[in-house]
Amino acid sequence: MSTVATDLAAPPTPQRSGWSELWLKEDWWAIWLGLGIVLAALVLFTQGASIGWLAVTPPKWSSFDQLGAHFAGNLGRYAAQFAVWLVLFGAGIAALGHKVRDFALAFVFLYLLAVAIFALGQWDQAAKYNLEPPLVALALGLVLSNLLGLPRWLDAGFRVEFYIKTGIVLLGATLPFTLIVWAGPVAIGQASVISIATFLVIYFVAVKLGLDRRLAATLGVGGAVCGVSAAIAVAGAVGAKREHAPIAITLVIGWAIVMIFVLPLVARVLQLPAGVAGAWIGSSEFADAAGLAAAQAYGDLAGHVDGIAGTADQSIFAFTLMKVVGRDVWIGIWALVLAVIATTRWEKTGIDRRIDAGEIWRRFPKFVIGFLVASLIVTLVATQHGMADFDKTVKPALVNPVKDLRSWAFIFCFLSIGLTTRFRELAAAGRKPFIAFTSGVVVNVVLGFLLSAVMFAGYWSGLAR
Amino acid sequence: MTNAARCGDCAHFRNAAGFLEQALPGLASLSSGDASVRADDGLCLHHDRLVAVGDRCAAFAARVEAQATARG
Repeated sequence: MSTVATDLAAPPTPQRSGWSELWLKEDWWAIWLGLGIVLAALVLFTQGASIGWLAVTPPKWSSFDQLGAHFAGNLGRYAAQFAVWLVLFGAGIAALGHKVRDFALAFVFLYLLAVAIFALGQWDQAAKYNLEPPLVALALGLVLSNLLGLPRWLDAGFRVEFYIKTGIVLLGATLPFTLIVWAGPVAIGQASVISIATFLVIYFVAVKLGLDRRLAATLGVGGAVCGVSAAIAVAGAVGAKREHAPIAITLVIGWAIVMIFVLPLVARVLQLPAGVAGAWIGSSEFADAAGLAAAQAYGDLAGHVDGIAGTADQSIFAFTLMKVVGRDVWIGIWALVLAVIATTRWEKTGIDRRIDAGEIWRRFPKFVIGFLVASLIVTLVATQHGMADFDKTVKPALVNPVKDLRSWAFIFCFLSIGLTTRFRELAAAGRKPFIAFTSGVVVNVVLGFLLSAVMFAGYWSGLAR
Repeated sequence: MTNAARCGDCAHFRNAAGFLEQALPGLASLSSGDASVRADDGLCLHHDRLVAVGDRCAAFAARVEAQATARG
């Protein structure tokens, strides 16, 4: 055994999991924040009040006078909402070890941009000019970060995953638990077929092209399961080389951003019902944040563009069932299986690993627990009310305000995707990884379309009707 | 090799979220160093591979609290 002095410039002692994960991991913070908001809304609701005052959003408008009057009359509500978001996310940021001062300054910038994007999306001509807020947020973020350039320290406030996970927990409160139970198995079945097929195509094309098996596996799960998160999970599980993960990350980001624009566009041309498009996007996008941007962009068209049937909720619900329930939750099993194969079948790396089934829990995307609990809470409340009473009291005072806060969290996320994606800083992927990954993208998109829009079209178009 | 101490206690091991987000370009764009799916994996500067806290190898080097010494 040798002794090496720790580099002074290097990070401090490694983090450890166990119970400390409850305050050292972003997933748990998303649960605390999301469920905290839901419970606060519930307490107010039971007292005959509502969190709606805080969940202010720009209304539909057709002239700047209307918009100006709204902001002038609700400045206090926006200031309060900003302060609440700042404190809640700031608490998580501090616990996770990021610089709170940098976060706070960046969040001011992010919030102002989010208000502008939200207001633009509420313009009564927005759909006519394809100004869907998720797409505008992403495009604006990309322009700011790639053409104008932003200081690196601002990234402290652009926490894509923190915002999307918190938003998904809040989404749970708007999605009936009975729907998860009813549609979950179909989503899992469909997603599993697509995930396995996509993985196998990417993996075997990559190996055929002579790529390292660990890189092939990292690319495979990046395209088949949950994008960058899957790639980093499996890169660690199989002991991939340092350069493998950035290659997969580059390809996932590149294709995910292309798909954010392409999938809603193609769905619009084909006039797919909102639920069908949501399921297709959930099958074929690579990351939760990117997929939700596409699903929400398309859902916003339902009811506003001729020929697109369904509701915005159907698109979001179908996407979430397919992506979160059908794909994300299985990452631990993928990691475990691939770790066993890597250790027993592939060339040795000089590193000894003991694998156990605990790998499944350690890598489980814990925020999904918050999503399910939030759904269960609001569903239990709903069972205490008749349908008419639910629509008259529960929905406006409890569900809709949570939904509005969810929309804010998603816009913070969509902006942050663009603001943190600096194309020149991404690793070069190389021709062979590109070919392998793109082969999987083709299978993913085609198979996802056939299952969502042909085989199960009736099922997804009638979701939550 | 199997009797060696864990990677999590090794001087070559780095798994702070901020460090990984810098070492793996693009990680924070559609994921995060703070995500549960990463578990406690980190980067081994000796093997230049992603490894788990509980992994072991013959090149283990005990961590020295050089920072405290330097400040002291």
